[in-house]
Amino acid sequence: MRASGSCTVTPDNGSFMVAAYVIAAVIVVGYATILFLSSRKYRDR
Amino acid sequence: MITRERARALANRGLVVVVLGLAGLAAVYVRAVVYTPVERVQGPAQKIFYVHVPAAWAALMAFVFTGLLSILYLWLRDRRLDAAAAASAEVGVVFSTVMITTGPIWGKTVWGTWWTWDARLTFTLLLFLMFVGYLMMRGAVVDHDMRARFSAVFGVMGLVLVPFVHLTVYWFRTLHPQPVVLKPTGPTLPASMLITLLSSVAAFTVLYFGFVTTRYGLMGLEDARQRELHGDA
Repeated sequence: MRASGSCTVTPDNGSFMVAAYVIAAVIVVGYATILFLSSRKYRDR
Repeated sequence: MITRERARALANRGLVVVVLGLAGLAAVYVRAVVYTPVERVQGPAQKIFYVHVPAAWAALMAFVFTGLLSILYLWLRDRRLDAAAAASAEVGVVFSTVMITTGPIWGKTVWGTWWTWDARLTFTLLLFLMFVGYLMMRGAVVDHDMRARFSAVFGVMGLVLVPFVHLTVYWFRTLHPQPVVLKPTGPTLPASMLITLLSSVAAFTVLYFGFVTTRYGLMGLEDARQRELHGDA
């Protein structure tokens, strides 16, 4: 039996997606945390 | 500069907007991972697109605002404009860091290499380093007027570079994909992917305004503290 049409094998690279999402979250949440902690510094002044 | 009460109110409001933006980003993550289809050729790594592109959008928007505020500062010499430009530049560097770290992760899966010195990547790196230099320079120059003037010149140079970065994919042969949304013929993404991308752009835009408002408020608070320390209040 002959195959017809094209066949695309979807790569298994989900770990790269997870790595990118984690790095992005760490940077954004990290900066938000720095701003929050900085704002606490001036709370009682 | 602004009063301490006004600065504190801005910082608090900014933090509320940041929390909203983070909640939006969390929702985007869920939508991108669970509800958005996997691209057939690139696989799950294509979903990096939903973080990388909005981060690039927010970074370039930040640098455009920095440039425009810098022009206004050079014209009006208002310290609030300098502070707002600096806040926007700092947030732009944060989003650029997201852009410049997630991009190579996608590149490794699709191009087979983490980095290539083509026009888009090289000029984006140049823009990023320019604004890192902007922040370093602000930390090094003590005199306020001199710091603000130098920063404004840096900011205007960055503004000139932004459209150049966007157009490099048209002007040069480059590995970097061409725009799929911001182009004359309209978006060429399936609706499900486009909605995820636009949701992420919205979340990053909210985060940008939240971050800048908070940072600007914190600068005002620090300025008020310095004035009190030196007896200028």
